[in-house]
Amino acid sequence: MPDVVLQAQGLRKAFTSPAGPLVVLREVDLTVHAGESVSIRGSSGSGKTTLLQLLGGLDVADAGDARFLVPGRGLVPARRHLGQGVGFVFQNYQLMPELTALENVLLAAQIAGHRATLADAQALLSTVGLAARWHHLPAQLSGGECQRVAIARALINHPSVLLADEPTGNLDETTGAEVMRLLLQVVAERQTALVLVTHSREFAARASRQYVLSNGVLSLG
Amino acid sequence: MPWFLHLALRQLFPPGKRFPAFAMVSILGVALGVAALLVVQTVMNGFGEEHRLRIRESFGDCVVVGRKPIEQPQVLLTDLRRQPAVVSATPFSEGPALARRGDFSGVAFVRGIDPVDVGQPARKYIAQGQFDDLDDGRVILGSGLARALRVQVGDKIEVWSPAMAERAEKGKAPLPAVFEVCALVRTGFTEVDDRAALIPLRRFNELWSMGDRAHGVTLRLQDPAAAYEVAARLNVGYPDLQFVPWQEIKKNFLEAIRFEKTMLFFLMFIITLVASFSIGSTLFSAVIRRSREVGVLVALGAQRWHLIGLFGLQGFLIGALGTALGFLLTWLILAFRETILTTINSVFGNGDMVANVYQFSKVPLHYDSMDFVVAAGFTLLVTAFAGLVPAIWAAGRKPSEAMRDA
Repeated sequence: MPDVVLQAQGLRKAFTSPAGPLVVLREVDLTVHAGESVSIRGSSGSGKTTLLQLLGGLDVADAGDARFLVPGRGLVPARRHLGQGVGFVFQNYQLMPELTALENVLLAAQIAGHRATLADAQALLSTVGLAARWHHLPAQLSGGECQRVAIARALINHPSVLLADEPTGNLDETTGAEVMRLLLQVVAERQTALVLVTHSREFAARASRQYVLSNGVLSLG
Repeated sequence: MPWFLHLALRQLFPPGKRFPAFAMVSILGVALGVAALLVVQTVMNGFGEEHRLRIRESFGDCVVVGRKPIEQPQVLLTDLRRQPAVVSATPFSEGPALARRGDFSGVAFVRGIDPVDVGQPARKYIAQGQFDDLDDGRVILGSGLARALRVQVGDKIEVWSPAMAERAEKGKAPLPAVFEVCALVRTGFTEVDDRAALIPLRRFNELWSMGDRAHGVTLRLQDPAAAYEVAARLNVGYPDLQFVPWQEIKKNFLEAIRFEKTMLFFLMFIITLVASFSIGSTLFSAVIRRSREVGVLVALGAQRWHLIGLFGLQGFLIGALGTALGFLLTWLILAFRETILTTINSVFGNGDMVANVYQFSKVPLHYDSMDFVVAAGFTLLVTAFAGLVPAIWAAGRKPSEAMRDA
């Protein structure tokens, strides 16, 4: 059995609303192994993004625990080790608008304190098909190209797991399919686990394990 | 270069934008505040220095007076001239008199001076006529007194001294001394210009029945700034005399100038503070606009101090560049101050106030490096603080909230 790269146990999260507490996640458990791809589907507002943020340590659960694998350190609390064992791909790309494609990729390595070289970043951009666009700003790239840069940025630190939140949500059908193909290809090549949050049944079906999040409960779909 | 410094520079000066509005407006705001502060300070320093110089030139670096007239002024002069700290020593006598021409009269403060002394300060302030024409039959009048008497160079005036009144009391019929006005002096000090009448010391002593005595001695010193110390040292040898340094002669006036400068610094300080607040609010809106980016940076592993560095540095950079530009603006404004003043005068029709009121040929300046150090230090401190407040706020947010809010 491959190593566990992501483990969540008993995750609970509720938000306050005028009508009272709104429970989004109830006792969610999830374990992801190295090289595995997991998809999470659900309707809008079902808590998919919240779950992904808890898994990646961007938010704090009311109860439960999320850990991911940092090579050499084992499973560590997600919140305290941001940028080390996990990579993010967001729906809106979230690139720094003032930095070029190459600088955006290198930034992730610099922030995390990794010794990724310029050649590493260039190689990753070439892998995602942007060899000729290194020095372009996000504003000079198409949506699909921006998402490719975001994928390269997420992979530069060799994360154990990549968390992708609706990575095709802002793209047209053709471009979305192309980005999804690329995403699945690069994670497979690098043996990186993938947790994919998506609306799309078609994309979700490509993952090795598929879940549905409904009423705060995560179940195999 | 640390990534947050690189990103701070890129966010301030985005590539492809020749005039990044946010950075340019903020830097210009700081620069104008700094320039306003320094221009006012430098000009005020100039006015202060010019006035100090005039006080020294009009009254001497140190004035030696006694409770009684000095009996043997030549002995004292010889002794004082031997002192290493003393450049020159000149006797004088002074007293009020009635000046009259026809139906116009006024109180003249007559001063007996040495007309051949090349260091006589009045030489520098002659507005009409020639100083060297001064002799026993001629007088140099302050411009204000000449105006009051309706006289010009070449006219004659009568002078009535208190000694003449004493003579009248004794039953003798005194005759006024008649002087021809040979020059007019204008120093810019109203109390001097409206009352001064300069005549040779010998003639003064005749009119005031002073014999060879003198009321005092004017000293020029090697180091006028050390007048207090020199006066105190010299006074030890002459306990009956009083050595008054120039700083004491017009103490209230000099205090007023200093107070004026302090008040203006305070006002300009507020202007710079307002500019800094605008930077703070601009940075705050920039931080809010970049909420998602803040969230992403945290997701990539940025620490709290990285975010404080990122936005705090932008405030500091705005302050540093604004201060540098402010220095340049200060130099430009001061270099072209006459042109600027002429333009203002022509637009508002104020006339040449600098020449008419202050009697300065041009706006005086005095650069004080301390003013520049204080202005730079203060501006950098305030702008860095203005950048830090939103930076700390941004660093304290949860990444999930930051990414949701944008």
